[in-house]
Amino acid sequence: MKGLGVIARRELTAYFRAPAGWLIIALYMLLAGVIFSVYVLRPGGPASMRDFFAVSGWLLMPVAPAVAMRLFSDEIRSGTLEALLTSPVSPGAIVIGKFLGAMGFITCMLLPTLLYVGTLYRVANIAPDPGPIICGYLCLYLLSTAYLGIGTLASSLTSNSTLAFMVTLFAILGLLFAAAPADLAPAPVRTVLYAISIGPKVSEFARGVIDAANVVYFLGIGVFCLLAATCTLELRRWG
Amino acid sequence: MVGVYQVHKAFGNVQAVRGLSFELQPGQIAGLLGPNGAGKTTTIRMIAGYLLPDAGKVLVAGFDTAAHPAIARSSLGYLPEHTPLYTEMRVGEYLTYRAKLFRVPRDVRRRAVDWAATRCWLGDVLKRRIGALSKGYRQRVGLAGALLHNPKVLILDEPTNGLDPTQIRETRQLIRELATDRTMLICSHILPEVERLCHRVLIIAGGQLRADGSPQELTKAGGSRYFVQAREARVGDAERITKLWATLPFVGEVTSRPAGDKPTQSVGWIEWTIVARPGSPDLREQIAAAAQQQGVLLRELRAQAPTLEGVFMDIMDKAGEVTEDPRALGAKETAA
Repeated sequence: MKGLGVIARRELTAYFRAPAGWLIIALYMLLAGVIFSVYVLRPGGPASMRDFFAVSGWLLMPVAPAVAMRLFSDEIRSGTLEALLTSPVSPGAIVIGKFLGAMGFITCMLLPTLLYVGTLYRVANIAPDPGPIICGYLCLYLLSTAYLGIGTLASSLTSNSTLAFMVTLFAILGLLFAAAPADLAPAPVRTVLYAISIGPKVSEFARGVIDAANVVYFLGIGVFCLLAATCTLELRRWG
Repeated sequence: MVGVYQVHKAFGNVQAVRGLSFELQPGQIAGLLGPNGAGKTTTIRMIAGYLLPDAGKVLVAGFDTAAHPAIARSSLGYLPEHTPLYTEMRVGEYLTYRAKLFRVPRDVRRRAVDWAATRCWLGDVLKRRIGALSKGYRQRVGLAGALLHNPKVLILDEPTNGLDPTQIRETRQLIRELATDRTMLICSHILPEVERLCHRVLIIAGGQLRADGSPQELTKAGGSRYFVQAREARVGDAERITKLWATLPFVGEVTSRPAGDKPTQSVGWIEWTIVARPGSPDLREQIAAAAQQQGVLLRELRAQAPTLEGVFMDIMDKAGEVTEDPRALGAKETAA
């Protein structure tokens, strides 16, 4: 996995070289700030970040595809993928490096929200329970892993970053609402729909429950998609 | 240093490369020529490790590109066509990134970047964004990126593309200097450039190797061409004159077409192209004497020494290919 760090660093810095990266962070901070002020800092309300995390989870839905869409699409379109794939870095390291760069960007986006947590601790009469807060951030990271994994795969399949964005968005929506028609489906299908649906798992995290199966589910989506993206790059070598 | 052995590559139903084999030695500058669709890019992409052959083997610095891709690729510097670069990066940052990617040790990295930047005349633009550079500068950034890890093998696709005449001359000099202990494969459409720069020329068409040798060997194998504008003194009979040229010793092929662009100046005048057999003497005197004896009026007679381009065109004609770019005529013409 040599070269992974070099690729991750280049990828992360690339977000901040373009206005789009700053714009995404600014918009996220603005929306998250509004949610925090309106719902979390509600006078007389409980000292809980639950609403903030719920909305942040929804915000990740368009943000993650936007972050991931250019990972490979731009490289394919501009031809830099050829230069990258002729370097002594394995396709696996390239995929993981790019994914980590994108995760780094999400970290940079989420990091300033710790200010909100600090504010809540400062203004709350009763100190908030740190458990649900840690659980909330863990959930956001796991969601990011899954979403960015899907985005990385979609981006590796096309030179059109808009198409990659749309495919990622619809894949996420599909997973989010997979359980919606479950009640109408026969029992075996219903079980599968609940198993692949993101919605119920996020609800458990929102209740402060960290289920190992849910963690494995999100990580599994991410790992599966990164493996598939690596295979896609390998397939390119075969023309 | 580079070995391509019985390599085949197909894209769907299109067979891009068929049974291609050649070896390149250290210190050798080889030029890869061929029309569009000949399999040039596919071949260099297979050597660079971007594509894997369907059958056959490619060795770079002794390492199989399929079995040991990382070692093979670290021994190789590759400048792809159109010079793909990260336009948002600064030149110095990009070169440092490439150095890290190619695992140039930390203690010599700075020196390697400075060396490559100096060799490619980038010293004054190291802090500029690549996207803001001219095409010529971008080409130089790509070239610097290809050679900064001091590879044993360099593959350059159109290395002088976008450079001004001074830079072209300097780039050629740089390539000659770099080739002293390296293997270089250059893809170019500019035949005179290949003729001047390369020790060896590989001509491919239809995915197969059609010619392989030094430019001197290849041009020697081609015959001189003679362009003759003539007509009958009285009644025009082009066929008789064509037969006359064809019966001369050392003459290979004879073709004709109406001479000149202005019909009023060229009524009855026809231009013949006479291709001499390889190794033949100067035929101008024979042609002129034969014309005088047979009462043929000569308006023009000029000879063209065999050129790489002539050889290339002959090979393409035989291969049934259509060349896409009949430019850069390095014709060594001598008027009779």
